[in-house]
Amino acid sequence: MNLNFSGPVLSQAVISGVMLGGLFALISIGLTLIWGVMKIINFAQGEFLMVALYLAFFLVSWGHIDPYITILVTVPFMFFFGIGIFRATISPILKDPVMNQIMLTLGVSLILQNLALMLFSANVQSVNTRYSSWNIHIGSVVISGPQLIAFIGAILCTLALWYFLKTTDPGRAIRASAQNPSAATLMGIDVPRTYLLAFGLGSATLGLAGSLMIPFYYASPTVGVFLGLIMFIVVVLGGMGNLMGCFVGGLIIGLAETVGAAVLPGSLARVFTFAIFILFLLFRPQGVLTKRQT
Amino acid sequence: MNLKAPYIRIVVIGALICLLPLFLSSFYMHIAVLVLIWAFLACAWNIIGGYAGQHSLGNGLYMGIGAYAVAFLLDRFNMTPWLGLVVAIALSAGAAAFIGWIVFRYALKGAYFALVTIALTEAAVYVVSNIPALGGAGGMQMEYHGNSLYYMQFAGQNGYFFMGVLLVVFILLLTQWYRRKRFFYQLIAVRENEDAAEALGVDTVKAKIKANVMSGVLCAVGGVFYAQYFLYVGPRSVFGEVVSVQILIYAIVGGLGTTWGPVVGAVLLVPLSEITRAQLGNSYPGSQLLLYGGVMVLTMLFMPFGIMGLAERLHQRWQHRSTTQVVDSQGGEAS
Amino acid sequence: MTALLEVHGLTRRFGGLVAVNDLTFEVNEGEMIGLIGPNGSGKTTTFSMLSGALKPSAGTIAFNGERIEGIKANRVCRKGLARTFQVVQPFPDITATENVMIGAFVNVGGARQAEATAREMLERVGLTPKADTLAKELTLLQLKRLEIAKALATEPKLLLLDEVAAGLTSTEVDVMLRLVRQLNSEGITFIIVEHVMRFVMNLSHRCIVIDFGSQIAEGTPEEVLNNPAVHAAYLGEEASLA
Ligand SMILES: Nc1ncnc2c1ncn2[C@@H]1O[C@H](COP(=O)(O)OP(=O)(O)OP(=O)(O)O)[C@@H](O)[C@H]1O
Ligand SMILES: [Mg+2]
Repeated sequence: MNLNFSGPVLSQAVISGVMLGGLFALISIGLTLIWGVMKIINFAQGEFLMVALYLAFFLVSWGHIDPYITILVTVPFMFFFGIGIFRATISPILKDPVMNQIMLTLGVSLILQNLALMLFSANVQSVNTRYSSWNIHIGSVVISGPQLIAFIGAILCTLALWYFLKTTDPGRAIRASAQNPSAATLMGIDVPRTYLLAFGLGSATLGLAGSLMIPFYYASPTVGVFLGLIMFIVVVLGGMGNLMGCFVGGLIIGLAETVGAAVLPGSLARVFTFAIFILFLLFRPQGVLTKRQT
Repeated sequence: MNLKAPYIRIVVIGALICLLPLFLSSFYMHIAVLVLIWAFLACAWNIIGGYAGQHSLGNGLYMGIGAYAVAFLLDRFNMTPWLGLVVAIALSAGAAAFIGWIVFRYALKGAYFALVTIALTEAAVYVVSNIPALGGAGGMQMEYHGNSLYYMQFAGQNGYFFMGVLLVVFILLLTQWYRRKRFFYQLIAVRENEDAAEALGVDTVKAKIKANVMSGVLCAVGGVFYAQYFLYVGPRSVFGEVVSVQILIYAIVGGLGTTWGPVVGAVLLVPLSEITRAQLGNSYPGSQLLLYGGVMVLTMLFMPFGIMGLAERLHQRWQHRSTTQVVDSQGGEAS
Repeated sequence: MTALLEVHGLTRRFGGLVAVNDLTFEVNEGEMIGLIGPNGSGKTTTFSMLSGALKPSAGTIAFNGERIEGIKANRVCRKGLARTFQVVQPFPDITATENVMIGAFVNVGGARQAEATAREMLERVGLTPKADTLAKELTLLQLKRLEIAKALATEPKLLLLDEVAAGLTSTEVDVMLRLVRQLNSEGITFIIVEHVMRFVMNLSHRCIVIDFGSQIAEGTPEEVLNNPAVHAAYLGEEASLA
């Protein structure tokens, strides 16, 4: 094993890891929001992101729209896409056992993934935008421009959601419904509506992610499988339902990916990320920012 | 009713099934073997998912461990799969105990268990794909030895078919026998109300870990069978989300926590999906999984208790009307 | 001789709220103790700590001379300390008999024996006609009896009853009174939490009164009823002491 601990390589890995971590946080935040509000894990969240990536891809490659302008389309589209899926499948079984809800969202994920396979074939689709090869050099460290933008987007998105939940009326309604649905109902809050709103928001964040990712990522029917796995890990690490924890969880996994790849030989790099995950499960199973319940 | 009746029913149906090779062509025998493999795996999952009510989405992990253990040991050391089976059981037991302990010791449960298990089974895909000794992303081909008991291999499908029937009959008898054991009552108590179970002296953590180990070990046995039949293991064919979902979909469609549900689910869905694949697989790749997705969504929306659950409920309603007293606590399938 | 149960300095905080504050008391073998207090005074929380469902913030609990504070509920139960739940906790999708069998398995290994014990316990609480009914189909009153049958099946030395008489008619209270007395004469020690004063005052050898988590009085039912501090605590409460 030849370990590589040289300074420049490591600092490059750390910077890339932070950028990647922000991206991981951005794609995971919707999952943790939805869980926090209605105690449902949307196992189709990875496939929702796939839909957003395809949408962004087609807008950019066929519509010749600037990737960052597509946000104006992808975010509202994913908002209503989420609401549509919620209305059609999840809201009828909100009171059913957790297992049924899990199965249902897994079913939705299989449908989306394989519909995409039929419609768009298994090909990986990426598009060269004018941002794609934009790099920022700081000393010996290189930062990819679109990744930096995605990172900033992740921070803004986390803060915006946090601000929205803390200070606005619909945000407060969402938090009240999350804490105690029956009390919220008594206070005159339309709980099913806030669930719908929260699910839509959780889905809309993926619209943002899709647009921000398309300059340096790709769309494919199975793109949501790996990204979905990342979401699950990040949400568990961050503490389920914890927005700030989600950001920290994203950073941990992003750093594990890049530092592992820089320091360890190829085949062990992937193992490293999952080893980190298992270590966190062992020592902080309740999440990085959550206190353990007694 | 006679306490032995459910056992007799299992054995008789098993014996009748053994006549199938007389009637089926090779294509349908292949499907029959697949039905048996998945029925066995679904029965194994049913222990943790159906009886203990814990949302394990990662049983592909144990199936993969079983399949890869025999394949690797045969490939590397020319070790007989019978010994490989022992190793598979030991490894899967260790993994299932470890995962169960990690999750259940702090009373983390429900969706948390689901997330952790699905993450670990997916992670296994990427880990195995990156280990050259395990064949990497391409998986491992196992050497064919023809009819050989030592290598647990058969020429043609009939040998595998009978082995599958034996396994499924075995697991059905095992579950039927366990239904009247303290351990299974405790599992059901855990599923129904954990606080109440704890207050009545049930060590809920230990019960859940034990159920996870039982389920995991049996899934590994299913994985061994799978590897021996296909003589090939690949990361996505025995590990991962899709495999794990396949394992549990049969149990859910058939009826969670019922003895026969997983078998009924597999008997209905496996042929349907295999025929879909044979007919449409080339022009529409993914049609098979699309079908699974559709079945899952529709089942959850319109038949959340599965086929056996529905039958059980209809049966109960009918009994309610026709008799005043229900004496038999054995006859029903669901608990 | 040591008491069956010795509680010392038992305290539980929920964030800033002190639900149970520095409780110290003893229960001797064969006694029936009433634990009373206004709504929210910490009775159920005390039971949860005694039975191991909740970890105390401070204090010790000794049962049969053995320290049990902080150990898990299933072990407490197997040592012979059982409870019923104020908010009933059935296993909804299995029959009443099977519900009780779970408790019986503490002492017996075989399903046949457990079932025999279960049916006997159902008989004692008068649920025999419902023995094969799914728990989710029982009424609240039947579920309260089921709670007792489940706990009895574990063969406890000390049984904590949390409001088992609430909502019963006068005749039903009488039936329950007789059952508890009978069980006590068979050697089971009781701590009884109850707002139905007729029930608890009739049964208790001794009463402990708590308010805001702290003990405010202790003594025979008569002494407690005539205690001004107790009257003050219950003032404005619906429950009448008469
Ligand atoms: N899990 C909990 N978290 C926070 N506060 C709690 C919790 N459980 C109980 N409390 C609070 O502790 C106090 C005591 O509650 P407890 O249920 O023990 O009262 P109680 O005497 O049984 O009342 P009641 O007669 O109404 O049954 C109450 O103020 C209650 O709100
Ligand atoms: Mg109470």
